[in-house]
Amino acid sequence: MIEHVLQTLPQVIIDGLALGAVYAIVALGYTMVYGILELINFAHGEIFMTGAFVGTALLLSFSAFGWLSSMPMLLALLLVLVATSIVTGLLGMGIERIAYRPLRNAPKLITLITAIGISFLLQDFVRFITELKKGNYILTGPSLFTGQVNISASSIWSGFHDASVKSSFFIVLVTAVVMMVTLDFFVNKTKWGMAMRAVAQDRETAALMSVNVNKVIALTFFIGSALGGATGVLFAIQYGTIDPYIGFILGLKAFTAAVLGGIGNIRGAMFGGIVLGLLEMFAAANLPIVSDGILGAEYKDVFAFSILIIVLIFKPEGLFGKVSVEKV
Amino acid sequence: MSILTVKQLTKQFGGLIANNNIDMDVQKGSITAVIGPNGAGKTTLFNMVTGVYQPTSGDILLNGESLVGLKPHQVAQKGISRTFQNIRLFRAMTVLENVMVGMHTHLRSGLFHMILSTPLMRKEEKEAKQEAYRLLQYVGLESLYNEEAKNLPYGAQRKLEIARALATKPKVLLLDEPAAGMNPKETAELTKLIYDMREQLQLTIILIEHDMKLVMEISEHIIVLDHGEKIAEGTPDDIRNNEKVIEAYLGKGATTAS
Amino acid sequence: MKKWLNVLEKNKRLQATVIGMYIATTFISLYLAQKSVVAFLLLLSSLLFLYFTSFSNRVKWVIGILVLSVLLPLAASQGEAYQSYMEVATLVGIYIAMALGLNIVVGLAGLLDLGFVAFFAIGAYTYGIFATAQANNFMPFGHYPLSGESFWIFLIIGCIVAAIFGVLLGIPVLRVKGDYLAIVTLGFGEIIRIIFNNLDKPVNITNGAMGLASVQPPKLFGIEFMYPSQFYYVVLVILLLTIFIVRRLEYSKIGRAWKAVRENEIAAQAMGIPLVRTKLMAFAVGASFSGMMGVVFAAKQTFVDPTSFTLLESITILVMVILGGMGSVPGVILGAALVTILNLQVLTELTNWLNQLSLSGVVHIPDALSPAKMQRFIFGLILIVFALYRPQGLLPAKNPRFDEKELKSGVTNVADGKEGAKGVYFNG
Repeated sequence: MIEHVLQTLPQVIIDGLALGAVYAIVALGYTMVYGILELINFAHGEIFMTGAFVGTALLLSFSAFGWLSSMPMLLALLLVLVATSIVTGLLGMGIERIAYRPLRNAPKLITLITAIGISFLLQDFVRFITELKKGNYILTGPSLFTGQVNISASSIWSGFHDASVKSSFFIVLVTAVVMMVTLDFFVNKTKWGMAMRAVAQDRETAALMSVNVNKVIALTFFIGSALGGATGVLFAIQYGTIDPYIGFILGLKAFTAAVLGGIGNIRGAMFGGIVLGLLEMFAAANLPIVSDGILGAEYKDVFAFSILIIVLIFKPEGLFGKVSVEKV
Repeated sequence: MSILTVKQLTKQFGGLIANNNIDMDVQKGSITAVIGPNGAGKTTLFNMVTGVYQPTSGDILLNGESLVGLKPHQVAQKGISRTFQNIRLFRAMTVLENVMVGMHTHLRSGLFHMILSTPLMRKEEKEAKQEAYRLLQYVGLESLYNEEAKNLPYGAQRKLEIARALATKPKVLLLDEPAAGMNPKETAELTKLIYDMREQLQLTIILIEHDMKLVMEISEHIIVLDHGEKIAEGTPDDIRNNEKVIEAYLGKGATTAS
Repeated sequence: MKKWLNVLEKNKRLQATVIGMYIATTFISLYLAQKSVVAFLLLLSSLLFLYFTSFSNRVKWVIGILVLSVLLPLAASQGEAYQSYMEVATLVGIYIAMALGLNIVVGLAGLLDLGFVAFFAIGAYTYGIFATAQANNFMPFGHYPLSGESFWIFLIIGCIVAAIFGVLLGIPVLRVKGDYLAIVTLGFGEIIRIIFNNLDKPVNITNGAMGLASVQPPKLFGIEFMYPSQFYYVVLVILLLTIFIVRRLEYSKIGRAWKAVRENEIAAQAMGIPLVRTKLMAFAVGASFSGMMGVVFAAKQTFVDPTSFTLLESITILVMVILGGMGSVPGVILGAALVTILNLQVLTELTNWLNQLSLSGVVHIPDALSPAKMQRFIFGLILIVFALYRPQGLLPAKNPRFDEKELKSGVTNVADGKEGAKGVYFNG
């Protein structure tokens, strides 16, 4: 059994990093919004999903226009990423403006309900648009970056099996890292980033310091949603086929990652995402073997949820968060 | 005879020491005031006494029994009740219901009684309603009994909080800035109410207050906090002339007090 | 129009006449025009109008029960659509009971539970496993399936098992801060579904994705309740009992405690209300309603599989509570009825109608937009619109209004032996 664990380890690490990168960036969206509004943006998973669809739709139309073959794939991807980011960013901003801002002083329960409503609305909206155009709500994008690369881990140590990756993996990883580094820089080293951090800490005081709170919140949503949407495109490229319901489960897991890292903490969210991705792939690869086939691969979802519950019970502030005390 | 004792009570939040080794001894049936500039740690002290915060170190004794480690609802059941600095009413419930909530611990019926509507439960409910109404009469709010708490004017809301706290039949009543935002007439009514509660209901009352006129008039014993430390205690006269207190803070109201 | 309504408000006789005529008319229409879904719905809606009349509660209940137990089934019984009408009515009843359960958790106690369907599943499987041959796979004793007579005991068992799970779930979950509760309950709902979907090895307990078939219908004194028209009465009785219990709880110490916890946790604690225990109670009671209805559902469908217990179900019930009015029993009843009818009848009728239109070439609505598929969209829209513009729902919760006479006839507590000032009795 240990043999199996070690053999599959290189593949698990590769897959885990790919998945973890996706979780990490989506988690950023959750953590940024929670940090600034203390709201769990249920609809964020759907933003990710919309990004996947918009990106795929763009790629399909590129391919239909014959552009895909005439320009380097990387360029096409870059264009699609930028376009999709802008679309989803605006979508996120719009949602905040229409649905969350009016409820800023309402009880939390009501805002959560609105968020759920938006989530459902988006899911079905994407579904029927896709179904209208394609006759089915499952969408398959053009195959990009499909070359397989073989990482011969077995040459490092004979206990490892070789890991095989699609070349899209590298694209996903690099893009993800670029996005995370950029965000980190933005939040910590720029004026607007500082404004975001200030509003997250103490909205009233920030307002008194002449920070335009509404603009900062809108910006936060834009950035979080843009990143989420871009990740959707990466996801679509990595896995090829998408449906309108991928946002829900993935959103849940990304949220788990955000909590794991410490909700409100941006670096924590990135860390949490990677860790969760690795853990999940590890579980998927080894659970069936360990439990003699009793626990099927579907249990990897149970695994992720269990982590969430355990973290929330024993260390709700996450790995890098601070314990907060409510003022009585 | 001492009813509430606080011994070397300390509360630390990370690097901030909100209360540092506070000692306090409250006599049964007395009216004690805790004063001090904003941020001195007064509400933190109240929060520890009522179990909302757990002390970092030190002890709290009610009639000799330690309260440390008890949850807030257990402290309430032991006989300590309070009002809040920022009014915490049950806004969507009616005035009468708010007071009835205070009776929670004294109603004995369990789930089965409630489902089957046994005579015991009906009797308890009837008595609870009537007692709640009497409490409202006591504070002068009986005409508003069916009104939603959130519709009440500010002064009435404060009174309702007191009525609700009284419903728990406390031994010690903690009032957190009860006169905040009140005009002189309302403050006079409040003063009379506090005296009445002490006399008629055998209560021990501790209040946090910034209104110096009220404090000087009504308290028998004053404790002064500043930056988490107790810097003085004594009778109103002692405090009035205490240099340390004057240095830390003593509002204008003191000079116009009796 | 307004003037007319004013006249109506003041005149009970007039109300009685109007309502009587309305019920009579709709009854006759349904009786004669069997296929008319509209007549059916109109007769049902007489209950809504009844709610707004100023008769005494007792009278309203009597009339309501008369309509539901005699008039409606009688009117619907002429023709082939009988069973399908009763089917709809039965499902409405089941969902009302579940929505009332969720109302306690979300509406009264203010806890956003998004995994509510899990308790429904637990109840359904509890009965399903023992009322089919499934239990033979792992039970060392007994011969299964148990006969339909055990249905009635299983109602209680389902209640209790679900309540236990409610407490088990609640204990870890209620310690987390309110915002997270929603996500965690959502996660739990999914976990239960996945587990039921996979619990066919090592020991086959739930038969996994294939589900349990041929669940025994309920049996009483030899009569088997197989047809929707018979099942309807089972559900009706259980529903009335549920409403009764919910009402009792709402206007009792625990109901006030739930509302207090919802309004202001910290103040509630300061008044001696044990937070965790109170929330657990809400979870357990809500779960038990759901579990009981799960047993009913299993017996009615005679088939149980994990696909009936998805997140969509949980959200559907949430929509019922929000639409009707959080914390409001009449509101939730209305909400549940509206949503179920929307789902079962309106959407399918609309789809059929649009299909017919497109066949005759009038208008062509593409299949993707067919109303029956647009469930999520509609629910999402309802949630958003109501949360933004009418969070109190269609029939907002009403606070209990007390009668001054009742309140004043108080006397001091003789047991204390002291007469406090102004009649307040006190233990010093």
